[in-house]
Amino acid sequence: MKVPHRIRKLILGMLLPLALLLLWHMAAKGSVIVPSVGDVLNILLHPMREATSLDAAPLAHSLCVTLLRVAIGFGTAILTGIPLGLLIGRIKWGGEVFSPFLSAAMVVSPIAWLPITILVFGLSSPATVVFGDDAWKYGILDQLRFAIITVIWMGSFFPILLNTAAGARGVRESHIEAAKALGASRIQILWKIILPSAAPTIFTGLHIGAGIAWRAIIAAEIFPGTRSGLGHTISVAHGQAAYEYAFAAIVVVAVVGLALDGLIRLIATPITHWQPKER
Amino acid sequence: MKKTIIHIDAVNRCFRTARREEVWALRNCNLTCSEGEFLCLLGSSGCGKTTMLRLLCGLDSPTSGTISINASTPSTMQHNIGFVSQHGDLLPWRRVIDNVALGLEIRGIPRAKRKQQAAEALRRVQLPADTAHSYIHELSGGMRQRVALARALCISPRMLLMDEPFGHLDEPTRHALQDDLVELWSKDRKTIIFVTHSIEEAVFLADRIVIMESGTTVTDISVNCPRPRDRFSAAFLETARTVRAHMHDPSKRSEE
Repeated sequence: MKVPHRIRKLILGMLLPLALLLLWHMAAKGSVIVPSVGDVLNILLHPMREATSLDAAPLAHSLCVTLLRVAIGFGTAILTGIPLGLLIGRIKWGGEVFSPFLSAAMVVSPIAWLPITILVFGLSSPATVVFGDDAWKYGILDQLRFAIITVIWMGSFFPILLNTAAGARGVRESHIEAAKALGASRIQILWKIILPSAAPTIFTGLHIGAGIAWRAIIAAEIFPGTRSGLGHTISVAHGQAAYEYAFAAIVVVAVVGLALDGLIRLIATPITHWQPKER
Repeated sequence: MKKTIIHIDAVNRCFRTARREEVWALRNCNLTCSEGEFLCLLGSSGCGKTTMLRLLCGLDSPTSGTISINASTPSTMQHNIGFVSQHGDLLPWRRVIDNVALGLEIRGIPRAKRKQQAAEALRRVQLPADTAHSYIHELSGGMRQRVALARALCISPRMLLMDEPFGHLDEPTRHALQDDLVELWSKDRKTIIFVTHSIEEAVFLADRIVIMESGTTVTDISVNCPRPRDRFSAAFLETARTVRAHMHDPSKRSEE
C-alpha cells in the first residue's frame, strides 16, 4: 500500500526529534545535571503551577509576559516600519540615502542596544508612567519595561523597513501607469497598486522581523535587571541549577516560535499567493 | 462630415538621457482624428508612436505644442479614455473580474454594480464567464489582452487608445482579436487610435493610417477596402502594398 505524501512527510519529520528525545533519555539516566524527560514533561504539563524549587513565576505567566513584550515591540515596528518603508521606497534617491545606514543597523544584534536603552529609559514602564512609585504593585504592566520593548522594536523595525522600501521600489511602473491612465489619485495608487504589489516583500520583512524579535526577547530577558519572562526563567534555572526548568522553557520557546512563524505564514498566504507564479 | 475630436498641433516632446543629451521623440507633430474613426498610427519602433499615445492619455505632457481632446486637455479627459498597453499590465494579485473593475473602483462605484458592469465587459470581449475568477497568470496571452481590453471598455470611454496590444501574440490569436475588435468597434463606433508596426494589421483595422517616422507624422492614407475585410483579397493586398511603398519610399509620399 502506498503511504500518502503528507503522512510520509510527517513521519520523516518526526524521526530526528524522536532520536534526540531518546538520546536525551539515555543521557539523563545516571546523571545529576541532565534532567529527565519526565521531569521536563511534568513542568510542561502543569504550566500554571508555582515552581517549588525555583525563584521564578509559573511557566504560563512567563510566556504571557514574553509574548506581550514581543507583541508590543513587534506591533510598533510594523506601525512605524511599513509607512516609513513605503516613503523611503518611493522617494527619489531614497534607496541611495538610506540603504547603507539601514543595512549597517540591521547587522547589529538588537541586544547590543540594551545597555543604552536601559540608560535612556531606566526602569520605566507603562506602570511607572501611570502609577509612579506604586508601579511595582502592577505586576505584568510593570514588567513591560520600555528598555526591553525598544530593543524588540529595533530588532524587527529595520528588516521591516528595508524590505518594505525594497518592495515599494520594485513596483512595476507599468502597473502604476495603468492605474494613472484610469484616473487614480496618489492615495489610490498607494492603496491599490503599491501596497498590494509590495505585500510579498513586506511579508518577508515581517517574517525576518518576527524571527529576530523572538530570538532577541529571550536574550534580553536573560540580561540582568528583568524579573520575568521565559528568558528570565532560563537564567534563574541556570543560577539555581534547576535545569529541568531551563529545558522546559526552551521547549516552550521553540514551540511558540514555530507557532508565530506559522501564524505569519498563514496571514501572508492569501495575500501573497500570486507572487511565485508571476515572474 | 464627422466632428473632429482630437487636435494635435505642432507637438514636440524632448527627453533627456542620463548623459544630459536631448532626444526628440516627437518633432512638430500634427494629427487630427474624427469622432468614431478607427485610426492606426503605423511606424517602426522608435518613431514616436507610443510617445504620442502616452501624451493622448495624459501619462506624459508635451514639451511644446497643444493637444486637445474634445476641446479639453488629455488629463481632464482621462475618465473618457480607455488605454490598452502592449502587455496589458494587468495586476497579478487581482482576479480577472477585479482587474476589469479597477477603473470603476477608482471612480468609487459600489461593489455590486461594478461586478455587474465588469461581467458585462468580459462578455463583450468574448471571455467565458468562468475566467472571471481566474488569476492573470492562469490565462493565455490572448486572453490577457482581452481582459485588458475589457478593463478599458468597462469605464465606458468615448475613445480607446491602444498601444500595440496584439504585437506579441501568435498569428491565429492576433487575427481572432483583430476580428473581434473590429466587430466591437462597428457596434458602438468608439473613436480608436491604434498603434502598430504591422502593415497588415493597420490595413485590416483602420479607416485611416497615419505613418510616423523619426518623431513626426509623414503620410496619411485612407483605407477604402470594404468591411468586413478579407486579409487575402486582391484589394486588401493592393492597399497593403501601397502602404508599404509609402513607408519605405519617401518619393511616393503625396498629399492624400
